[in-house]
Amino acid sequence: MDTTSPLLELRNVAKQFGGIQALVGIDFDVRPGEVHALVGENGAGKSTMMKILAGVIPEYEGTMVWKGRPVRLRNPRHALDLGIAMIHQELSVMPELTVAENIFLGRQPLRAGTVDWARMFREAEAVLAELGFDHVNVREPLERYPLGVHQLSEIARALTSGAELIIMDEPTSALSPMETRHLLELTRELAATGKSVVYISHFLEEVTWVADRVTVLRDGRKIATLEARKTDKQELVRLMLGKEAAFFEESYMSGRDVEDPHAGARPVLTLERLTRPRAFSDVSFTLHAGEILGLYGLIGSGHFELGEAIYGLHRPTAGRILLEGQPVPAGPRRAIDRGVAYVPPSRRSGLFLEKPIYQNVTLPWLAQISGLVPQVPKEVRVTDEVIRRVGVRPPDPQKEVLYLSGGNQQKVAIARWLVRPPKVFVVSEPTRGMDVGAKEEVMKILHELSEAGVAVLLISSEPETVLAASERILVMAKGRIVREFVGETVTKEQLLHAASGELAEAR
Amino acid sequence: MSTPNDDSPKPTPRWRAFLAKSREFAPVWTLLALILFFSVYSDSFLSLENAANILNQVALLAIMGTGITFVLLTAQIDLSVSYMATFAGVVAAYYTAGHLPQPWPIVAALLAAGALGWINGVGTARLGIPSFMVTLAMSLIASGLSLYLTRGRILFELPALSETLGSGRIFGVKWLVIVAALTLLVGHLVLKYTRFGRYVYMTGASPKAAELAGVNTKGVITAVMVIGALTAGLAGVVGIGRLGSATPTAFDGMLIDAIGAVVLGGTSLFGGVGGIPQTIVGLLILGVLRNGLDQVSVDIYMKTLITGIILLAALVFNILFAGRKEA
Repeated sequence: MDTTSPLLELRNVAKQFGGIQALVGIDFDVRPGEVHALVGENGAGKSTMMKILAGVIPEYEGTMVWKGRPVRLRNPRHALDLGIAMIHQELSVMPELTVAENIFLGRQPLRAGTVDWARMFREAEAVLAELGFDHVNVREPLERYPLGVHQLSEIARALTSGAELIIMDEPTSALSPMETRHLLELTRELAATGKSVVYISHFLEEVTWVADRVTVLRDGRKIATLEARKTDKQELVRLMLGKEAAFFEESYMSGRDVEDPHAGARPVLTLERLTRPRAFSDVSFTLHAGEILGLYGLIGSGHFELGEAIYGLHRPTAGRILLEGQPVPAGPRRAIDRGVAYVPPSRRSGLFLEKPIYQNVTLPWLAQISGLVPQVPKEVRVTDEVIRRVGVRPPDPQKEVLYLSGGNQQKVAIARWLVRPPKVFVVSEPTRGMDVGAKEEVMKILHELSEAGVAVLLISSEPETVLAASERILVMAKGRIVREFVGETVTKEQLLHAASGELAEAR
Repeated sequence: MSTPNDDSPKPTPRWRAFLAKSREFAPVWTLLALILFFSVYSDSFLSLENAANILNQVALLAIMGTGITFVLLTAQIDLSVSYMATFAGVVAAYYTAGHLPQPWPIVAALLAAGALGWINGVGTARLGIPSFMVTLAMSLIASGLSLYLTRGRILFELPALSETLGSGRIFGVKWLVIVAALTLLVGHLVLKYTRFGRYVYMTGASPKAAELAGVNTKGVITAVMVIGALTAGLAGVVGIGRLGSATPTAFDGMLIDAIGAVVLGGTSLFGGVGGIPQTIVGLLILGVLRNGLDQVSVDIYMKTLITGIILLAALVFNILFAGRKEA
């Protein structure tokens, strides 16, 4: 069977981004009628590779071979013309248009210069029937259907455009267990009809179920290509993490006393069965004074949305958030006044890059610092103190945030909340994209806060981040809390394992 | 020590500092160049009397422009200001003719304009309608109200205060210019020296980040729309005094000049950057241009075209530099 000539091949492909080696010496192939899964941690190179396959990144080293002939894709359009279609994680559908229009987006069948609606509906129905979804009315707007059908319409679009290779990027991350199952079965059916699929997913149970082969990437390198049948989740996690896994096994959560360190601690924040559709559901936990609680999940698992909800950025549809026993009214202002602080996962969205540091730091506290008329010298003094405490370099309150490095920008975002120590500090991805030194400094700040009695909720999709700082870790997957680790030694492997979902359970 | 991440300190690039400076000062250079140009090509341009003329010509625009500056700083726009000015003038004259004791007609005029501005604000901030759409509708409503109240006629009975402020003088200086200067001054003080002013800038710089820092961005946007309407109303109330009558279309044509002046000065259409000093420069550019073109022998039918081209150039400039923001 290895004699089947591949539909697509990458030979010794490499890609650099400004001195960072995103991919090194990648050899990869997809056979006709094969589902080939691609797994790896965030930053392992999956998305770079996928963008090369889909023509999004035209500049790279090495060769791509399509049906035995070397090609160099110029752009996604070129890829599509050859028969390579990509289905993005963030779907590019138009919910207001009909299902049929979505399937034929940009290439509606024409008759005498106008859209041939009858033919478009007929052909859309035919392709959906082929996919086993004949209950979908192609004349209805897509928004009337659940996300699974949106996904489906993208697949149908790829098929009707004559795609032979479909790249699916995290196709199930937003789907319900039912929809996930349908999608997986559909993917197998596609393969059975001779189409090839590159399947990118964090959910390893799904991967081993749906794929023929699995390629593992780590740090931009191909670690292995395995027969899916002959591997399992444990082996994949081990390969994704590499040798360091052994190191993590011992190194974390041993910093403090083990036996339930906060048995007697005062509860500060309590979530009761908090639910918000398409984000999180039925989430309950208690956060104690002086605790750092890690909340880990893969991207899209709803943990960031949970942080936003605690800060009052949007209302959950069910459940309660209690701060010291009292419900918190919506809106960041009220949350701040009650002692909740929040750092968003993308630091740019929380900062004013064009404005000086001091204006960034004092904005939440203007009323407290100087009443109706801001007094800049006083603001600068307050700012100077907090940015020195967190180690912003240079510690110049008048400097625009724009001119600081990423790590220092993040420190500004944190420093803001030291002006008045909060009761609850919700920090999302506080160390993403930082070098080791800056990471340690940020972690040190969080520890100092917790020792001063602040309840810290540390939300991240990077296992190292939660492992490095937390005494207790909650793991979220698809909007639910699936595991809690307290007072035991936890490894990155276990975290990833818990977050990547149990397919059997999901069904 | 240093890893491939973006954590090494970035030096301030010199070209960026230069761009920032030229962005700040380009309007000033434009103004100086225009003054120089007209001084050379016209004998009558450079005189104290003509300078007073120019100030008088831009005074109404300045009152309106103060409010527009607030609106643009939050990255919104108000296309109804000139129509609200007309409407306020009509209300003041209408109630004066109806023998409402002074100063109630003027109070009514300002309240009426403020109410329309509040509707603009609620439509934009709470309902999420783009401000250009809400205010476009509002321009029709204000215009419609003016027509309805006047039944299309011209009202000649004006509040005495309007007549004084619109065409009177004190110590040889026109009241109108003083009102304009005071409006600009108050606007400047509010923007630069109050907490609200800081909120205006921060909301415009990044609504998302302002919200995350606990700023009531919806309240701020509603407030600036009301401020825009109030200054428009004030312009209408003193403007009728200058014209000597209130007509149902008196100030409608000032919209483009009023917004144009603010943008010419360098206040960003994308919010967060600019202010009253910039607006003053913009007003003077527009005033000098209009006045100067009258003094040199330019084809009278070319005047609008030339003004339009210069406004377009300013807009291109505005966008070009705003585009550098994210770089």
